Amino acid sequence: MSGHRARRTIGSLPLRLAAASCLLALLGLGSGCTSAVRAYQRERLTERIMSFQADAKATARRMKTLESREGSTGGSGGAGGGCACN
Amino acid sequence: MQLRRGTPARGTRVLGPAALARTLAVVAAWAMPALAEPPPDAPIANSMFRYFTGSDHIGVRSLMGDYTMPVFQSSALTLHWNNEQVRIPAISAPAGTQEAIDAITTASRPIAGNAFQDFVKVRNEFQGGIHAEHRSVDYYLSTESDYLGQQVTAKVDRDVRDDLLNLAVGTSVGWDAIRPAEDSDTNSDDDKKTTLHCNLVATRIMAPTTVVRAGFEYNIVHGLQHNPYRNVYAGGTNVPERHPDARQRRDLFLKLNQYLSNRSSLKLNYRLYNDDWGITSHEIGSNINQYITQGVFVRWDYRYYTQTSADFYRPEYPTVDGIGGYRTGDYRMGVLSSHLFGAAVNVDLADLITDHDWWRRLGLSVNYERYFNNNNYSANIVETSLDFRF
Repeated sequence: MSGHRARRTIGSLPLRLAAASCLLALLGLGSGCTSAVRAYQRERLTERIMSFQADAKATARRMKTLESREGSTGGSGGAGGGCACN
Repeated sequence: MQLRRGTPARGTRVLGPAALARTLAVVAAWAMPALAEPPPDAPIANSMFRYFTGSDHIGVRSLMGDYTMPVFQSSALTLHWNNEQVRIPAISAPAGTQEAIDAITTASRPIAGNAFQDFVKVRNEFQGGIHAEHRSVDYYLSTESDYLGQQVTAKVDRDVRDDLLNLAVGTSVGWDAIRPAEDSDTNSDDDKKTTLHCNLVATRIMAPTTVVRAGFEYNIVHGLQHNPYRNVYAGGTNVPERHPDARQRRDLFLKLNQYLSNRSSLKLNYRLYNDDWGITSHEIGSNINQYITQGVFVRWDYRYYTQTSADFYRPEYPTVDGIGGYRTGDYRMGVLSSHLFGAAVNVDLADLITDHDWWRRLGLSVNYERYFNNNNYSANIVETSLDFRF
């Protein structure tokens, strides 16, 4: 019985571009290339409809459900748990 | 049949307790005292009813509870529990026949005794954790008749650049024990699975109405990763399903939250996923949130998903060896695309009622989602939730 390939890189050009774009965005967020937003200008950002945190539990529930129907996982910035075998 | 196991991928290893402790210590040491979102100053309780039903007639009823209680030094104790009842329909053909195999979906059920009756399993989950402003530690336990899952998670974050940028790093270790129930046609032995996860997430305020989040996640999974009850029709006979024992999974994601002028917001997200089984997937999601009056907002959801197939996936296998010794009857390993539509209503009574203190402590929400994919599968999901602030 042959062993399964241990590593696979993202091969095609569109996938590489997509991965590179995401990585650049990740790095770009840490750079100083955007203008400052003062504390008093952040009123809109505190509303519930703008919150990432308010969606976190719903996102986790949806991810767990879809893990049992699709072949991938992730995208929430956290780890899942359990068997996901529904 | 005794299932044979492959060797772990070169350069990877399963994290033991000592390594886990070292990892958590490093992560905790990196944390610093807090500036960001503080824990609540009064306890909050939440209860939720959730029902999932698919076109394969599998039903999952979930009763969940959450409790968050402030404790010492600006920290909160969080508790979560979930009781689930999974009902898997009776097979419609004699055990061991191809028709019976086709009747089994991604859900796990043994074929033993009277398989012409519905199979019901109960799952109980518990999660407890301590959450401070910039760090958290959680323990998760999931138990059912043939599966015990445990996981420890740690996360730290810090604000930099005048609180415009938040950087977060998280890790988790999971270890699962699988004890397959008696089954007439597979006879799998007890097995285990371990998962090591890490993530790096950056969140940036781009403008007074715009926030962007980007992240990278990486998972290393070892152990049983197929359905111990499922057979595959290969080489003219039925043989147990077999997936590789090692899997490396990684994804990149981008999220954008944009406030719109009329008390509404647009949220967009994209995820690129890839693993060493050969699956690459793209996910695009969007939702619009709109306040219709003070304290009441509605949400509209759409999600599109597409993936390639695993290297060892075939609709039919000419020999019992499958592809490289692996064979699968799991449609999740094949080419797949799906759509999901959703709608929700959220009500915060504190903004609607002015003179009854008890009612002002309540929040309500109702959520409906419709999912369907190109494998002729569809599902409905309904959630109702009630919050109470003490």
